[in-house]
Amino acid sequence: MANKESASSKTAHRFQRRGFSYERLIKYFFASNAGLTIVILVLIIVFLLKEGLGFFPGYRRELETYRIAGLEFVDISRKNLTSHEQLTSLLNRAYFAEINGKAMREMRRFQEASALFNAYSDQTGPTRDLILNNPQSDAGGNSGMLAVLRENYEKQKQKALGLLPATPHLTTDERNQLVSSLRARAPETTEDPPLVVSLTENYTAAQAKFSEPLKDFRATIDSFGAAGSDLGTVITEMTESVTATKEKLQSADIIAKDRETLLAAANNAKNPAERERLLVDANAAIAEKPDVEGPMQLLMNRREDCIRLHQQLEKSVGEILPAIPQSLSQPEANRILRAAHKSWPVFIADLKAAPEKIKIWNHTDPVPLSDAITSFFTGKDWVTGGEWQDFYGILPLAIGSLMIAVVALVIAIPVGIGSAIYVNQFAGNREQNIVKPVIEFIQAIPSVVLGFLGILVFGTILREISVMDSFQWVPGFPIEERLNIFTAGCLLALMSIPTIFSLAEDALNNVPSAYAEASEALGASRVQTTFRVMIPAAFSGILAAVLLGLGRVIGETMVVLLVAGNRIKIPDFTAGIGSFFQPAHTLTGIIAQELGEVPLGSVHYRALFIVGIVLFVVVLGINASAHHFVNRVRK
Amino acid sequence: MKIISTLIASAALITLSGAQTLSLKGSDTLGAKLVPQLAEAFKAAGNTGVKFEIAAEGSTTAFPALANGTAQIGMSSRKIKDDERTFCKTKGVYVKEHPICHDMICVIVNKNSPLSALTKDQVAKIFTGQIKDWSEIGGAPGKISIYTRNTSSGTYKDWQKLAMGGRDYASSSQKLAGNEQIAQEVAKNKNGIGYVGLAYSKTAGTKALPIGGVEPVAQNAKTYAYARQCYLYAPDKPTAEAQAFLDFVKSSAGQSIVQKVGFIAN
Amino acid sequence: MFNPESIIRKGRPKGYLRETLVRSFLRGITYLIVIIALMIFGKILIDGAPAIFTSKFPFVDIEFLTAKNETLHVFDDAQGTRHQLPASKYSDYVNAHAGATLYNEQTFSYSGGGIAGPIVGTALLTIGSMILALFFGVSAAIYLAEYAKQSPFIHAVRLAILNLAGIPSIVFGLFGFSVFVLAVPIITNTPSDRSMLTIPLMVGNYVLSFQGWNSSLIAGCATLACMILPVIITASEESLRAVPQGFRDASLAMGGTRWQTIRKCVLPYSLPGILTSSLLAIARVAGETAPIMFTAAVAAKDDLPWQGLSNPFGVLSSQVQALPYHIYTLAARIPNSEYTERAQYGSVFVFLVLVASLSFGSMILRAKLRKKLKW
Repeated sequence: MANKESASSKTAHRFQRRGFSYERLIKYFFASNAGLTIVILVLIIVFLLKEGLGFFPGYRRELETYRIAGLEFVDISRKNLTSHEQLTSLLNRAYFAEINGKAMREMRRFQEASALFNAYSDQTGPTRDLILNNPQSDAGGNSGMLAVLRENYEKQKQKALGLLPATPHLTTDERNQLVSSLRARAPETTEDPPLVVSLTENYTAAQAKFSEPLKDFRATIDSFGAAGSDLGTVITEMTESVTATKEKLQSADIIAKDRETLLAAANNAKNPAERERLLVDANAAIAEKPDVEGPMQLLMNRREDCIRLHQQLEKSVGEILPAIPQSLSQPEANRILRAAHKSWPVFIADLKAAPEKIKIWNHTDPVPLSDAITSFFTGKDWVTGGEWQDFYGILPLAIGSLMIAVVALVIAIPVGIGSAIYVNQFAGNREQNIVKPVIEFIQAIPSVVLGFLGILVFGTILREISVMDSFQWVPGFPIEERLNIFTAGCLLALMSIPTIFSLAEDALNNVPSAYAEASEALGASRVQTTFRVMIPAAFSGILAAVLLGLGRVIGETMVVLLVAGNRIKIPDFTAGIGSFFQPAHTLTGIIAQELGEVPLGSVHYRALFIVGIVLFVVVLGINASAHHFVNRVRK
Repeated sequence: MKIISTLIASAALITLSGAQTLSLKGSDTLGAKLVPQLAEAFKAAGNTGVKFEIAAEGSTTAFPALANGTAQIGMSSRKIKDDERTFCKTKGVYVKEHPICHDMICVIVNKNSPLSALTKDQVAKIFTGQIKDWSEIGGAPGKISIYTRNTSSGTYKDWQKLAMGGRDYASSSQKLAGNEQIAQEVAKNKNGIGYVGLAYSKTAGTKALPIGGVEPVAQNAKTYAYARQCYLYAPDKPTAEAQAFLDFVKSSAGQSIVQKVGFIAN
Repeated sequence: MFNPESIIRKGRPKGYLRETLVRSFLRGITYLIVIIALMIFGKILIDGAPAIFTSKFPFVDIEFLTAKNETLHVFDDAQGTRHQLPASKYSDYVNAHAGATLYNEQTFSYSGGGIAGPIVGTALLTIGSMILALFFGVSAAIYLAEYAKQSPFIHAVRLAILNLAGIPSIVFGLFGFSVFVLAVPIITNTPSDRSMLTIPLMVGNYVLSFQGWNSSLIAGCATLACMILPVIITASEESLRAVPQGFRDASLAMGGTRWQTIRKCVLPYSLPGILTSSLLAIARVAGETAPIMFTAAVAAKDDLPWQGLSNPFGVLSSQVQALPYHIYTLAARIPNSEYTERAQYGSVFVFLVLVASLSFGSMILRAKLRKKLKW
């Protein structure tokens, strides 16, 4: 060992041998510290697996309970009832969209008048409350103070009148009338201003007028809605019985487990009194084997009912369908109606298939472990902490993460690489010295600060832009939620731009200068040199930059937790580009949001660790491929 | 080397058990507003020696914390479940229930919504996703945005039981961290709807709707559809500070703060 | 007669327009991002400055930086004047004006007082994790730069460093939670039930129990240290390698041992580089939220970490508030209104100034160092 270190000094061996163990100790000390990195990595993997792997058996048991207790059986019918409800809702929306479309003018006028009045009330509300709730005001006592309050009220009123919103659909006279009625308004007045009242009445009258020709449609919708009520009743009844069975099963599981833990605790108890107490508890906790077969028999007796009701529903839907108009006069109403018409065939096919499904369903079918695994990786629902049944499906989260990453990269790649090219190839020295530090400085903004700005500033700005008339051509505008995939993606783009920028710039820097010189010597212009020579030469490095940026975006937590909107649902892709303006939840966000709240060791807790493992593997994969490209450049 | 540093750290950790803090964990409904103010008043009432740590992540977090001894008092907006009680037992903690106030879960909508009332049936349909557009129940047309609490919240589960007949929330619902956040989002979204504890129903920009003709105000606690009791949980032999705090909360001074914050005194 | 110059001089070259377009497009996006960055800083500076700076001497709102975090009470008195008081002053006010009725009372959690707790917590977390990370990281770097030869072990170490650097911070949070909070060993006489393994120590009834450190300062520091370790190792190795080989050769030639060479001839010259790049690491540690969410941070705590402890080591086992987590709480848990803005933007301002000055300092120092150390 010593020889290896101080190479070829043979003469000093006696002294060296004295220092031998000391030197070697130091070396081993340093080596062990280097090995610490391996230890940490191994610990990360081991502990993620240790906490996570118990998930699949636990989830399998939950799915088994779901089946044994008959919840799955109810869900077959429930699914169809839900689609029926959705369709009823669609028809209702088409109906109201038609009426409101026709009564648009009255509606706008009414809305503008009440918005104006609301803006006024918001401003004057606090002082008004102060005057009304002041106990001295009825006593008539301290009139000096009341005067002060009334003066404040007048001040607020003037301020409010200065800040009134625009009313493009009201005539100037009407607006003046409304404003003057507000100006004359005493704090004690409780009625709405006369114009608001009359416009409300106008609107109601218009609604009534336009609903008249749609009477038949209304009746059709109502009968369609009513067609599902029988099935609904049966499902509600079944729900009660299966939930009771499930609770029994679960509490039996819990009691059995508790008995074990109580007994174990009794064994470890320090004093006899404590042990006695625990033992008594343990003995009291004897699980009755829950009766599953009895309730299941009752449930199975309803099988025929369910089938009959499905067939009945199918029949009545078939009868009602022709009565539904094919088109309506208002474009919005028509759009909704078309969506409804599109879903009929699916709905009817589902109804047709249901009896067969109900027939073959069997509560004794085993639930293999693979079911738990597949339903985790392909499940479309992540439902936790609910009354009915918990599902852990990673798909909505993964899609959320992916869509946010897409938005972020679509913005960050052109900007990051473009500015890298500019700074590296075109910018002068002084320009470089200004731009580079500023972009690198963005990296220093902590993610929670960006999230903070997103929730307080950017989201609101985005919504305000989205309701502007001049931006209505953008798909998805006006946006429904200010916190959505796009908002989060923009902020994440900002976070990944510095990463992409500096790595891409490095890659360009690393291209041997002879390349550029040769190209220019051949008479190529600067732009030609850049795009034909430099970028192809640095391509691997730039690709690595993008991949590392992607890794950063996928792994980012705080921004998405605060800004992505936390809706655990696969976005509605029928909206096209607009689906990027819907809220989503992410792999990282769900861990941050739920880990602090779940009981240790529960299935839910373990599910979060599995999500962590997925995240770990994905990000490491991305990084590994990035390094693969970097290495290719080096070679 | 690692072992030595571990030993030093662990020597430090031995002293942990002697700390004099009063740690409360659990419900956000209670822990975001009411309990901090109770704690501040408690200290103002002469108990300056007690130090408070309050973490309000949801009722579900209260019981594991009690069991592990990381909290001396658990806050919960729902009753303890049997398995939670047994879990605590196995750790030698026999929890005792202290009902401290009533609460009402109010349905709030944006101030500019033309709606002035909802029925129980409409509320259930909105939150389960059967009604998706405000125009279906006579509001201004617009897609309904549902804001709910996160899954560990007692309010989340209570609401499911009280208002939705145990059905699952609409998948389009957005899960937010606390009452204040729900109120804020509803205030900023004209198509928003959400539920909050009574204490949060007065947030600017929102209005709480009467349900089935009953106004969500303290006087109607008996008739309002979504009323519930809130609890503090403590071990049957609490520490002296915890006992003093519990007594204070139940005293008239404590109950007047309960009322002031917007809950309904016992 | 054909004069080639006339072609060159006449008008502009063929691709000129396109060249200009491409160039100005690239310039455009570059300045766009610069402007956005400046706007973000500007927004926070403009909204945050009023919370920190005052018009009176000493021009800085000391109270905001040194007071504890409290609930803010907003109310009108009978004269219609609006008061905004943190809880402690509010109770003073109520005591002083016994019997007076207050109107329009509103309370805002976390919005009153100052942010001393989060500042101190972040400082402790940063110092603790940097001590751990520098100690282990620099040692590992010394091995990599001074001792290591090509070997499977070194290869594994480099692979581990590379992979550690890429792990998302939330996964470090999971790791810290499952290892430092729940599993690392401590010496105690009352082992918890969740302990995975207990080893009797033969001293009294003390045992070595693998039950974790709970959510505490030390657990947070350890998690952050693991996260920052690859950064420190890479930066330190670079600084060590920047010391010219001649220094080492000279020392070894004079008969110095390897350790003496490292201690006297390599470390002193690489130390400035190591410390400079660790400033950047400090900025990153101070800015992280996800790893400390489950390992160290609490939303509300009315005392500074060291207050009310019988033993100075108790600091390590207490939970702390931290600025990034505080900002998360302020952003997610409380509404945005005129009364909460002071707390919200003020905290962000302080935090950003802190983190930005660290990384700015690191940048300047690095530039200076490069100029100074030219071998």
